[in-house]
Amino acid sequence: MNFFDRMQNLDRRWIYLVVALAIIVPLLIPFNSKTYTTEPSENVYKMIDSFAGKDNKAILMCVSHDASTIAELFPMEVSVLRHCFERDIKVFTICFMPQSAPLVDYAINTAKEDFPNIKSGVNYCNFGYKPYSLFLPILLGMGDNIGEAVETDAEGRKVENLEIMENIRNYEDLNLVMDFSASGSVISWITYARVKFGVNVAAGITAVMAADNYPYLQSGQLIGMLSGLKGAAEYEKMVDVFAAKGKAFSKETINNTWIKITGNDIPTKFKKARIGMNAQSIAHIMIIVFIILGNIGYFVNKNKKKG
Amino acid sequence: MFELISNLVAAFLTLSIFSFLYKDNPFYKFAEHLLVGVSMGYAIPLAYENVFIPFVYNPIFLERRFIIIVPAIIGILYLFRFSKNLSWLARYPIVIFMGIVGMSVPMSMHSSVLVQMRSAMLPLDNINTFLIFIGTITILMYFYFSKEHKGTYGKISNVGVWFMMVGFGASFGYTVMARMSLLIGRIQFLLGDFLGLIK
Amino acid sequence: MKRQIPLIIVMSLGFLFFAHTFIPHKFSQDFYDWYVSWTKAMSPFAVILGIMSLFMVHTTKIQRKVPNWQYSFVTLGALVFTAFAGFAWGTNEGTPFMWLFKNVQMPMSATMFSLLAFYIASAAYKAFRARSAQATVLLIAAIIVMLGQVPLGQIISKWIPITSTWILNVPNLAAKRGIMTGVGLGMVATSLKIILGIERTYLGGGD
Repeated sequence: MNFFDRMQNLDRRWIYLVVALAIIVPLLIPFNSKTYTTEPSENVYKMIDSFAGKDNKAILMCVSHDASTIAELFPMEVSVLRHCFERDIKVFTICFMPQSAPLVDYAINTAKEDFPNIKSGVNYCNFGYKPYSLFLPILLGMGDNIGEAVETDAEGRKVENLEIMENIRNYEDLNLVMDFSASGSVISWITYARVKFGVNVAAGITAVMAADNYPYLQSGQLIGMLSGLKGAAEYEKMVDVFAAKGKAFSKETINNTWIKITGNDIPTKFKKARIGMNAQSIAHIMIIVFIILGNIGYFVNKNKKKG
Repeated sequence: MFELISNLVAAFLTLSIFSFLYKDNPFYKFAEHLLVGVSMGYAIPLAYENVFIPFVYNPIFLERRFIIIVPAIIGILYLFRFSKNLSWLARYPIVIFMGIVGMSVPMSMHSSVLVQMRSAMLPLDNINTFLIFIGTITILMYFYFSKEHKGTYGKISNVGVWFMMVGFGASFGYTVMARMSLLIGRIQFLLGDFLGLIK
Repeated sequence: MKRQIPLIIVMSLGFLFFAHTFIPHKFSQDFYDWYVSWTKAMSPFAVILGIMSLFMVHTTKIQRKVPNWQYSFVTLGALVFTAFAGFAWGTNEGTPFMWLFKNVQMPMSATMFSLLAFYIASAAYKAFRARSAQATVLLIAAIIVMLGQVPLGQIISKWIPITSTWILNVPNLAAKRGIMTGVGLGMVATSLKIILGIERTYLGGGD
């Protein structure tokens, strides 16, 4: 057995060890890398930011995933909530999977810790868990009257009696729905809520789903999209650069700003995706090296057999 | 102390699942079965609090809307799914839920077909819109099976395959990113929350 | 009759919903409100169906002593205990129920999926071969997109993220649009088959 044969038949556990090291080492040795923002993420930020300080505008975050994909989606949710809390934007949350309910609470509590004045029922409201069989009835019902469609929030209060509901009646006011999912659930928002009521829809999705949604971005059915850990890292940076400093979005500023993620200037919870992106860089290089090495072995052996 | 024990449990279960990478073993099997049980057990009280109480108990017993007893009984018919002789009764709740597909006919047509077609009909004033147009048309031709893919038609539809290969490549690139992100999340937990090594 | 009446119900509701999409009349809205209140009241029982199904699978495993049947006790025990914790101490933050979710369900669920990172790396090494020109295009597109997503890609060359964005916005968009249109037509056709009574598999077997 020659070197290339041995390479082809390498025990998979050695590969697993390399994978583990490629992720552990960059996390243990932190370094600063520049996060570049993309247009789909910028569009989400700009749309949410345009609601700042407006009493008759709100966003709805629909959390449609379980714990299996929190690594990608949780930092997005925390960043979007932080943006809303920083800029006084009314935000509602809802979920249709029992496993999502504590994730919503966890995200709200994580983001809220730094904002002592933010109050449930006033600045934000968690509609809580509703069974999936009510997904369409609630989605469509909110087009007429949110209070009637949702009935109660996670704390069991009548939604229509809450202070936050002042000037918020239906999708004309709740003008942006952002679905965080690892599945195609955002398509349902596009198919029903967008078609029937014209509500703006944005997606916070796992990277697996990202490439499939580009047609919706071009057609305007999705106003923007955060894709995977990179999307979360981009949003974290935009919140740091603009919302946290009370500034308006500027493309030039974001591209020229370097945010230091080492050190204690920013709490870890607000830079988790950016820390992860360092490991992501190394992991991607590792996969590319694996593909190249695997192919070298394959072609050498193929030529030998031919010869 | 309490947080330490909590993290210890979470870390032990995380490592039990990772142990499968070496080989199948009792720790992995234990964790796998525990996950199924906890996930299902978790849904029960939540469904009771968030669904049964507000949508069945409250309307019937507090608001005295007795008509709600009828759909509640239809819902109970679900449970006959496991009966040999009466499983046909479970069809009633299923078909009532299915009825709403009538709405998806015009709406799916609108969102997935008509709007997409409209967006493909942009003026071909630059190379990118031209490529998108060619790609969409040739892929649609590739999936048209009523005509044999031979001769000129075969060559044109083959162009669609090249577009699809690029599309699948993009999906694959993103999939690698997604899978690595999930592992990064777990390693961040083990190194950061559990061992306190990430600052 | 056991199949005909359910079929008549699904056909009638299907056509009513089809009409409801286009008719904003009060009758249409009342019909919709009625439907919502009824489906809300029916929905909790679907959860019981799932629980019963899991119970039956695992009790059968225990009764038949199939390989690894002992672990079914773990599943059933965890199910009963978690549900009991929710009813006994509530489901709010700080309860044993939520502790179980945060320290048992959540880490295990996330870890289970993270195993896929190892498998995809192993597949990259052992299976992703440039066997043909088309497979080579796929791999090159994948590599550019992979590099384009991470900060390192920009450091290597500013053209990497630009090319990656172009791939996603042009050929990928065309590919996904072509496929999506087919899927969209398929969804419409399936929905039509259901409301016209041609597709009946959801009714299950038997008479």
